[in-house]
Amino acid sequence: MTNSIPEIRDAELLFVIGSNTTEAHPIIAMEMKRAVRRGAKLIVADPRAIWLTEIADLHLQLKPGTDVWLLNALAHVIIAEDLVDHAFIERHTENFQAVIDAVAEYTPEAAEQVTGVPANHIRTAARWYATTRHAGIYYTLGITEHTHGTDNVYGLANLVLMTGHLGRVSAGMNPLRGQNNVQGANDAGASPIYYPGYQRVDDPAAQARFEQAWGVPLSPEPGMNLNVMMKKLGAEIRGLYVMGEDIVLSEPNAGRVEEGMNGLDFVVVQDIFPNETMRFADVVLPAACFAEKDGVFTNSDRRVQRVRKAVEPPGQARPDWEILVELSRRCGYEMDYADPGEIYAEMAGLCDKFAGISHERIDREGGRQWPCPTPDHPGTPTLHGDGPLKGKATFQGIAYRPSAELPDPEYPLLLSTGRTLYHYNAATQTRRDAGPNAKQPESFIEMHPRDARRLGVVEGERVDVASRRGTVGAAIKLTRRVKPGCVWMPFHFSEDNVNRLTNDAGDSVTGTGEYKVCAVRVEPRAAAR
Amino acid sequence: MSIQITLDGRTVAALPGETVLQVAQREGVSIPTLCHDPRLDPAAACRTCLVEVSGQRRLQPACAWKVSPGVAVTTQSETITRHRQVLLSMYLADHELDEEGLPITRGRTNDLREMAKTYGTPIRLEPSHPPRDSREDVNPYIGYDPATCILCARCTRYCDEVEAVSAITLKGRGSATTISTVAELSLLDTTCELCGGCIDTCPTGAMYEKKAPRAQGASPLEKVRSTCNFCGVGCQLDLNVQDGRIIKVTSPPAGTTVNDGNLCVKGRFAYDFVHHDERLKTPLIRRQDGQLHPCSWDEALDAAARGLLRVKERHGADSLGFVSSSRCTGEENYLVQKLSRAAFGTNNCHQCAAT
Repeated sequence: MTNSIPEIRDAELLFVIGSNTTEAHPIIAMEMKRAVRRGAKLIVADPRAIWLTEIADLHLQLKPGTDVWLLNALAHVIIAEDLVDHAFIERHTENFQAVIDAVAEYTPEAAEQVTGVPANHIRTAARWYATTRHAGIYYTLGITEHTHGTDNVYGLANLVLMTGHLGRVSAGMNPLRGQNNVQGANDAGASPIYYPGYQRVDDPAAQARFEQAWGVPLSPEPGMNLNVMMKKLGAEIRGLYVMGEDIVLSEPNAGRVEEGMNGLDFVVVQDIFPNETMRFADVVLPAACFAEKDGVFTNSDRRVQRVRKAVEPPGQARPDWEILVELSRRCGYEMDYADPGEIYAEMAGLCDKFAGISHERIDREGGRQWPCPTPDHPGTPTLHGDGPLKGKATFQGIAYRPSAELPDPEYPLLLSTGRTLYHYNAATQTRRDAGPNAKQPESFIEMHPRDARRLGVVEGERVDVASRRGTVGAAIKLTRRVKPGCVWMPFHFSEDNVNRLTNDAGDSVTGTGEYKVCAVRVEPRAAAR
Repeated sequence: MSIQITLDGRTVAALPGETVLQVAQREGVSIPTLCHDPRLDPAAACRTCLVEVSGQRRLQPACAWKVSPGVAVTTQSETITRHRQVLLSMYLADHELDEEGLPITRGRTNDLREMAKTYGTPIRLEPSHPPRDSREDVNPYIGYDPATCILCARCTRYCDEVEAVSAITLKGRGSATTISTVAELSLLDTTCELCGGCIDTCPTGAMYEKKAPRAQGASPLEKVRSTCNFCGVGCQLDLNVQDGRIIKVTSPPAGTTVNDGNLCVKGRFAYDFVHHDERLKTPLIRRQDGQLHPCSWDEALDAAARGLLRVKERHGADSLGFVSSSRCTGEENYLVQKLSRAAFGTNNCHQCAAT
């Protein structure tokens, strides 16, 4: 997030796109509700009538995967009606002409044909967003989990830049991170192209810095991203170390992942519960959960906060960091740390962004938001707030590309997947608690009553959902939240793993899988007829 | 921007639109409240925060009274004390009392009881305990005990204003008023999202957590401040630990952390996994029979190291992949990429949620 969570309540306009905030980020949603109570306008762009649309001023119910059309049409209106911030564009950006050229054809009327969003709604949204001073964009995986996810992000950034909604409070461009430490894992360099602190592995200066610190030569070759890794299992990838992810359940096109896993020479799994990936493991290492160890998580607004040991791990389970230190030693590379505070200090010493943060400081003052270059720097709640941006931001003209797999006569429904309020991802944690199970005991598929009538299925009926990649079961849930032709399923249920259906076509830049769009058909079960 | 007011004879600065309570809290002047929660619009319902305001004939609620330039506020006086004692006596007449003549607690925190102890209740009114509805609700988390309820409506206002689902409501009239749901449905069948904010805001323990066993007083309760391990909001929470087990999760006070005192159903209640029987408790190794068997840490770590090194020897470093986790700590992610890069020499390292 360029801005901070506590700033949301003071926003004058919230543009929420591809984020079911009340279910995926309930506490951020509370701040949004508070902003609306205080008079902020709320625009929601989502293929489903999610809860936030109940209090929204405008719901742009676009067809899944047509985001670029919507975003370019919004830009088209802002440019055509000259609602851009000329001074900001002049001072802080370059290449605006590329966007002017790119969006010329994306008129609201043409966009209506593709997205299904009425042209006048697109015009209204564009005018509201461009002419409101404290207007923030909030998005999550509904934007990124597409083969054109990076284009979607560029499309949003173009809107932010052309209206100058950057570097001021309660505005900006705010991706809401899906998991507790997505931000922190990226920050720490768990990335094929970045060392800790976003220093590129193919930058010789960065390579030299880390070679000196770690005392070994390092590879300047960027590695494989996760999406590519999963496709190369059993081929270029022969051995896998998996810490804290059930890849067989969570990665798209699970059937193909399983095939790849079978072809591996050696697999280590390190986790807190038995999981699906463990079926392929040669060695399983039992780890401590968050309540049993020390360290930091970094949240969506770049806030580095402490995790503290409250109870002992069960049996012989150990904190992941202790396991990694011991394993590294046995692999011939010594690591020596008394506690996670020392590990953090080593990382902070190698990254200017976090140099001013330490366990001791967080214990004393509470969480700090990076960039925080020195121990007396207060941290940075709002990015780009202190005067001009460093350098100039570059506009990117983008063109619509259809999703990799769209409905056809054989697979006529468009499936999107996502999280519910009551469960969390692979649900190894939440399905072991009474409340989530009382609310949502089994997998379901949201379907419009019109589609259900056509298929002859009724509320609660168990059906098979099939894509070109696999078939899973689910209970029919009739709802007008989804549009006719679209269905939606949660990804929490290992016995009906929805990722047997999803498409592993990845974004061309990030490799993120297209979890939000694939083609399926729904089949009533013969036995139930 | 700033204006000046007089607070207990002292001149202090205030911002236009601030309430007397906000100014007093900043100045370290204590004013008791029951129905106040900074996350909610002032209700001025409980009347315990009444103060004297210059130019006003009657006492005024500090939680709702907005300061104006030059106004003089008095927070302690004989009138205020007398008023407060009468008020507390009226509350007590409506409550089940213990042998000390104070409101029962049922083992939970009860601000009314503490306030009665602090200010005294010399006036005894005829007790009246109208029967209030109390139903068993099958939801596993949130209970309601009308015996300690003061009908301040913090729970229902929180449900309306903060969580904004309006699942619970005041039902009935006068002293028979109670807290209920539409058509008295179980919370599971209402718009309730089981966030438990009603429990968090309740000043008297009437809304209570069914999961948390009441403190037995045997071993002390320790609160450990940590960060929630579910989504990316980074809510701060206090793990309440007794006898080596987490027995409850609470939020730090409103206004102190990024979550402003709020938690969701997962953050507040979904902690059973920590002490679950199915946790992995020993290292496992796959033996000749193709099954995973328990083994020692030494054997597991040696086998892991040997297996990974052998893949590197045969196929090169870039034939290894290291999948790290956005669920683990920053330090652990740092170590995985260091293991991958420094110990094995490959950049094939990615965290699980690289979006």
